[in-house]
Amino acid sequence: MDASLLELRNRTYAAFVGLGRAPSAGELGDEDAVRGGWRQLHEAHALVLNPATDEIRMANPFSAVPTAYRVQADRRWWYANCAWDACGILAALAVDGRIESSCPDCGEPYTVEVRERVVDRPELLFHCLVPAAHWWDDIVFT
Amino acid sequence: MNLFRSEEHIARWLGAKTPGATIPAQTLCDLAHAWWDTRLRPDWQPRTRDENQAILDRLGLVGPFWTLP
Repeated sequence: MDASLLELRNRTYAAFVGLGRAPSAGELGDEDAVRGGWRQLHEAHALVLNPATDEIRMANPFSAVPTAYRVQADRRWWYANCAWDACGILAALAVDGRIESSCPDCGEPYTVEVRERVVDRPELLFHCLVPAAHWWDDIVFT
Repeated sequence: MNLFRSEEHIARWLGAKTPGATIPAQTLCDLAHAWWDTRLRPDWQPRTRDENQAILDRLGLVGPFWTLP
């Protein structure tokens, strides 16, 4: 990944965290140039674009759209793309926090507190349906 | 990639779908910290496939299911 693309990637992530939401292309500079860079970052799996709009869909582990995984961290609420990314938001921000979601089977809500990288609900189980070889075949489904 | 109450809930949710892999919530948390902790650092660089695989290996996530392409 060349330096200019890396710089755009880092600026995009910094803006996401600073704003508490995905930045628009126009917020980061020349709209066409930013979208062109984002498309390259999408191809490199460094972020994920909405194919219909070319706006950011995921800056993993952050989600640009509401999901079933809400994370309270660093005095804000975030949406994560999945359970892995919910823990990942806390890891990326290097903070303790709280994950709120519900069992996909029965719908019962749960809260997981993470303090110094330790979860308070160790009995919960993470299920990964898609094998690692196919995670990026359809990353939104994964 | 979901978090469930128990094996029973996973099995019911799966129905006829082929099961994937199940790990405890603490292993997930350990995995997330190993995988994402550099994500916001200004010196971030994309990891290689082998570096990613090494993270999975270190956590005992081995075998065909956890093998990256």
